[in-house]
Amino acid sequence: MLKLSAEAKVGIFVVIGIIILALMAMKVGKLGLRLGEGYEVQAFFDTASGLASDAPVEIAGVEVGRVNKIRLSEGKALVTIKIYPGVKITESVKAIIRTRGILGDKYIELLKGVEGAALILAGGRILNTEPTTDIDNLMIVLGEVANDIRILSHTLASVIGGEKGEASLRSILDNLDKTIQSINRTVQDNDENVKEITSNLSAFSQRLREIGDTNLDDLQIILKNIRRATGKIGELVAGINQIAGRINRGEGSIGKLVQDDATIENLNKALTSLREITDKISKGEGTLGRLITEDQTADRLDQTLSSMQEITEKINRGEGSLGRLINDDETVESLNSTLSSINDLLKKQDMFLTYLDYRGEYLFESNRVKSYFTLRIQPREDKYYLLQVVDSPRGKETVTDTIRTVDGVTITEKKVESKSSDLQFSAQIAKRYYDIGFRAGLFESTGGAGIDYYLFKDRLKLSFEAFDFDVERRPHLTFRADYKPFKFLYLTTGMDDFISDIGRESYFVGGGFSFSDEDIKTLLRSVTFTARTD
Amino acid sequence: MIRALEYTGRPFIYIFEEFGRIFTFLINAITWMVRPPLRLRLVFKQMESVGVQSIIVVLITAVFTGMVLALQTFYGFRMFGGEGLVGATVALSMTREIGPVFTGLMVTARAGSAMAAEIGTMRVTEQIDALYAMSVNPIQYLVMPRLVAGVLMLPFLTIVSDFIGIMGGYVVGVFLLNINPGIFMARMVDMVNLGDIFNGLIKSACFGLILSLIGCYKGFNTRGGAEGVGKATTQTVVLSCVSILISDYFLTAFMFR
Repeated sequence: MLKLSAEAKVGIFVVIGIIILALMAMKVGKLGLRLGEGYEVQAFFDTASGLASDAPVEIAGVEVGRVNKIRLSEGKALVTIKIYPGVKITESVKAIIRTRGILGDKYIELLKGVEGAALILAGGRILNTEPTTDIDNLMIVLGEVANDIRILSHTLASVIGGEKGEASLRSILDNLDKTIQSINRTVQDNDENVKEITSNLSAFSQRLREIGDTNLDDLQIILKNIRRATGKIGELVAGINQIAGRINRGEGSIGKLVQDDATIENLNKALTSLREITDKISKGEGTLGRLITEDQTADRLDQTLSSMQEITEKINRGEGSLGRLINDDETVESLNSTLSSINDLLKKQDMFLTYLDYRGEYLFESNRVKSYFTLRIQPREDKYYLLQVVDSPRGKETVTDTIRTVDGVTITEKKVESKSSDLQFSAQIAKRYYDIGFRAGLFESTGGAGIDYYLFKDRLKLSFEAFDFDVERRPHLTFRADYKPFKFLYLTTGMDDFISDIGRESYFVGGGFSFSDEDIKTLLRSVTFTARTD
Repeated sequence: MIRALEYTGRPFIYIFEEFGRIFTFLINAITWMVRPPLRLRLVFKQMESVGVQSIIVVLITAVFTGMVLALQTFYGFRMFGGEGLVGATVALSMTREIGPVFTGLMVTARAGSAMAAEIGTMRVTEQIDALYAMSVNPIQYLVMPRLVAGVLMLPFLTIVSDFIGIMGGYVVGVFLLNINPGIFMARMVDMVNLGDIFNGLIKSACFGLILSLIGCYKGFNTRGGAEGVGKATTQTVVLSCVSILISDYFLTAFMFR
């Protein structure tokens, strides 16, 4: 064996020790190698109770980072997380503090959010957080449950336990006992009777058997007849059922009769008078009474009744016009369709809306307000007619060109005359396709057309109008944006006459309100209501 | 009355004097440590004696401690279904506590006693006086190498002890108690930090210093022939063990908060 020096032995030992240390350190201390790498993000938690520095941060159970530090900020726990390099988290990610097992440590779980959301970069913040649902909360809930159970058992105990409860229980048991005893006694007392009954029964059954043995064939025939008869009865009952069902459903004239209260009253009256009559009859009073007392009459009555039966049978089979009326489903269907078409008509009537609308626009250029009063009739959702009275500060403009010749130079002068406070009228027809609406007709007493673009569920409307086409000057173009923050009110802004060559271009702002006839109705109703309560 | 007070006071004074003497002895040794000649050969010789020759006894202690730890904690953890934590418990106990302390105690028994006996014999046979006569400082020649060997070798012994102890726990846990090996390792890796291992190693270095210092001091101050040597050896082992256990508490409290 090789003789080793002290140095060599110590050297071997030290090398082995260092190797073991390195192994263990690498196995255990992966954080040591990774600490300092990666990027930091922050997250606010309502509580970071139990969370410690260096707690793991996991996505789907895979460690992707560590908690770096926890401090208080704005009354919440601001947790700084170091995410390992190469791990990307998006803004839709959700951070939850979770507990591993019952006794385990807290860690942060990141729930992957929507794919394709923006990435959180270094220094970013996870907005979506949820504090721990830890054992404490569980304990609180459990405590509440236990309390409920305690209250329940307490009530139970107060009902059953105690002298009162005991007494009532005992009385119940006593009653039971008594009842059983009395039953017993009854049975015992009637022992003889019972015996008699049973012996009678046995004798009777013996007799029956004798009869059966001797008259077996007859019995069979009888049974067959009975069966046939019951079948017929069944059919009859079914027919009656059918008729009764129809009546019940209010079908046919009889049904209507039955359903109507007035009818019932009439019936009642009729019945009372009938009773009076029958009374008289039974006494043999009057002609009818005399009739009935004679046999002939009875025979006739019998005949009448049988013919009546025939009639009802026919009706049931659907023969004759009355029968058809009652039996035919078509009648019901045609009635139904009639009703539905009436309904449709009413619905259309419902959709027919009328709007009253006022709009004021402040024109910066002339410091005047231009007012519009509009009646909008909307028979269908995608179509409306518009009647408008416009009070324009400028009034109607007439432009006259004067051509003068001064010193041989021809000067063309444009002279604009406007009649102030002159009302103008618009009448337009509009049609809407999805988000785009087209309007055409009279715009401020001149011909024109407009296009509307609806945005944000009709809250924003961009309109462009062109009208007042004149050979002499440029047409009147208006661009307008209406924003409707509330149901009735809206704001408007835009540019009026923006390519004007006579200096009429102007920005404007304004607002207005718009009511439908329904709204006005409700408003009026509430007003009158309040007036009455006053 | 006065005598009674003196009687109670004397041991305390003795204890403090002893502490003071040990401390000055240590300072003396440290100052001689940095003075040439460095006597590396002697240091290596002591390292072999303290470190290499203690391996076997340390290994046996560690492996059985780890095994019994696994066995005991298993029965505890099984009560609430925490068998998976056995690995972590064994590893944490070994690295933080049992590795350093048991290594310190075993080395005290093996090497500390040997130091006291060796130096004590040299003292009673006046070899130390002979060293003085040869103008060789006995502290530099005898004490310094032992101190250095103790401080340097104990961490290495401890890391081996940690490793072997965990291995022992693993064998018992996985092969005898049927704990899932993956969970055993995963929990262990989860719970044990690098800090646990390094703090254990720092502790063991302190223990190495304590045991070699006490061994040398007791040996150096041996009086009274063969009997004195025996006494010094016994005192070394007892005092070292007690000091290691007491300082272990304070070091732990200091390092692990």
